[in-house]
Amino acid sequence: MDVVINFFKNAYSKIHQIFNSQKLRRIKDFTRHRLIGFNLTDGIIYKLCVYIILISISYIYIYPFARMVSYSFMNLNDLLDPTIKWIPKNPTIDNFIVVLRVLKLPTFDLSHFTSFDAFGKWLGSWGQSSIWNSTWFSLVLALCQTLVSALTGYAFARYEFAFKKFWMTMMLLSFVIPISLLMIPRVMMFSRFQDITGIKVMGTVNPQIIISLFGQGIYSTVLIIIFTNFFKMIPPVLDEAAKIDGASTLQVFYHIIIKMSISTITVVLLFSFVWNWNETYITSLFLGSGMATLPRQLGMFDTLFGQNAGTGPGGEPVNMGETYRMAATFITIFPLLIIYAFAQRKFIEGIEQTGITGE
Amino acid sequence: MAKVQLNRATKRKHNIIGYLFLAPWLIGFLVFTAFPFFYTIYISFHSVTVTGLGIEYKFVDLINYINALFRDTYAWGTVTFPQTILELIMNLIIFVPTVTIISLILALLLNQNIKGRGILRTIYFLPVVILSGPVMSQFMNAGASNVEGVDHVFVYRIIWNYSPDLAEALDILFNNFSLVLWFTGIPIVLYINGLQKINRQLYEAAQIDGATSWQALWKITIPIIKPIALIVAIFTIVQIGTSPLNPTQWIIDTVMANRTTGQGKAAAYVWIYSLVMLGAIGLAVLLLRDRSKDEVFVDIRSKQDIRIARIIRRTKIKRLLNPKTFKQTFKELREEKKLKKQREKEALLGADKEEG
Repeated sequence: MDVVINFFKNAYSKIHQIFNSQKLRRIKDFTRHRLIGFNLTDGIIYKLCVYIILISISYIYIYPFARMVSYSFMNLNDLLDPTIKWIPKNPTIDNFIVVLRVLKLPTFDLSHFTSFDAFGKWLGSWGQSSIWNSTWFSLVLALCQTLVSALTGYAFARYEFAFKKFWMTMMLLSFVIPISLLMIPRVMMFSRFQDITGIKVMGTVNPQIIISLFGQGIYSTVLIIIFTNFFKMIPPVLDEAAKIDGASTLQVFYHIIIKMSISTITVVLLFSFVWNWNETYITSLFLGSGMATLPRQLGMFDTLFGQNAGTGPGGEPVNMGETYRMAATFITIFPLLIIYAFAQRKFIEGIEQTGITGE
Repeated sequence: MAKVQLNRATKRKHNIIGYLFLAPWLIGFLVFTAFPFFYTIYISFHSVTVTGLGIEYKFVDLINYINALFRDTYAWGTVTFPQTILELIMNLIIFVPTVTIISLILALLLNQNIKGRGILRTIYFLPVVILSGPVMSQFMNAGASNVEGVDHVFVYRIIWNYSPDLAEALDILFNNFSLVLWFTGIPIVLYINGLQKINRQLYEAAQIDGATSWQALWKITIPIIKPIALIVAIFTIVQIGTSPLNPTQWIIDTVMANRTTGQGKAAAYVWIYSLVMLGAIGLAVLLLRDRSKDEVFVDIRSKQDIRIARIIRRTKIKRLLNPKTFKQTFKELREEKKLKKQREKEALLGADKEEG
């Protein structure tokens, strides 16, 4: 008996020794600290979890865009083929050629490149296209909005005038009022103006430009807040120094304030441009059928391809217009994608600069 | 900005130049925002006829509202306005809290010290730049915005058996899950910005006191981040109002399309919708407002003082309301005011003397 007990005792102490040896313990501690960390939040396991969650959620973000790109290169056979999930078997650009016509864009054809004249004509046709309309219209609105927001922001940041607090709260409240509430009288006002003076206003770009020029454009509250908070950060000593040297108020505003805040101005311009580009509600009320903009042409797709439903091989309904729609969406988004690719840092900075998160 | 003592001349200058800079916005605000706001209230109680010669108003009481709420139907009698309003409220109840919470969670995760943070942030912000109404509805039509197969999940079945309403809410949520995520672009940036402003030393102190990171999250991060949650909630409500998630919009548009006689009616529709939206914003403010300002006085004595002052105020009001004691109380109050003013004057003089 004794032999057996001794054997076990020995074995146990051996195992105990091995487990408690310095080397093993160090390895144990090392792995534990690496995996779990001192505080759970600095271990590998925790970071792995964070990565998994973030990447799987970003998959949901990208999924619609990936779907869009994949669909827009498919033809009808590929769309109906259940074996094809992402990569089309015979990719085509036919969708885009059809879609260009509907979106009122110049069609793409090899004949345009045969002679110099044809090419010139083709280039000229871009001038009437919806993409050109959208671009210049959004740019003009963005410039108006930026100018007025800068002036208003400067007033709020630098001057202590009567009822300042009141107007500031009014500015913040105007963000909250639903836009459709304001649109009825605005439309009535402009159409009444048209009736009285006989100048054509409705169906042109003028109403929106006027509204933007008076600081009531889309989300202009946010733009004014961005400017106000940035101007507050510029030390007032600079203004005073310039004033002592004999600069007028406008000179101070232009030579010191504006020149110092070029980066903020680009941010505001970018935001305003993108918001105006994406805006369809106000534009549809004022412009009507007067001028085609790109996102509104995209909205027309529902009436054109909405009813084109067929039956797939499994008996489930398949929308035949899907490929066209996705191609059209792709084209509409494309200019914004390019802007975002170049200026994504500016966008995020812009929101950080608003300072509405409290200083 | 600290309040600066200005003399009279500079005050006048500030007034004039300040208002000159403000002028374009101010005119725009009065003409295109303040006036329309009150004008829609006015015309919602009238039957409005717009002709080439002028606008005729006829007072019709509440008929526009009654029509909107009880009589009119759309889409060949299948849809009424209250139905869409209920749908809107449902959407608000489902989406606003989820967006506020999910974007907070994502911001907390993105605020960790991990590699590739910039790329992930770029992806999360992408929808803000790209999505417009038509693009969004194209995606929704293509079914690219839903997480498929929720109704096959076992837990969902259990919930459905337990309460079909909750299951329906979950259904709406998961069918538009991408939509929720697309709304989180700006909120995430706002949250991250707020998170980075929190003093690191707070966390260190908590750690030394033996708090886990979970406790630190609830006791430090969330109370500090709460005002931002309010901004996020308001922003989300406004965004939902201008997105395809707002089912009332197309009815309002169809009513508004009648440019000659429909405007009074449209105003009533829009006001009902606006009241819902403003109510939602008010609710968000009530739930998420910064209460810490009310609780500055924490020690018992100051609390007692506040209570005593409140009781005195109440008794005074009671005595004022009673016609028998009204005169005397009024006199007392006036004397008190005089005394207060005198004391303030003395204090000011004293301060001047000290400075001199």
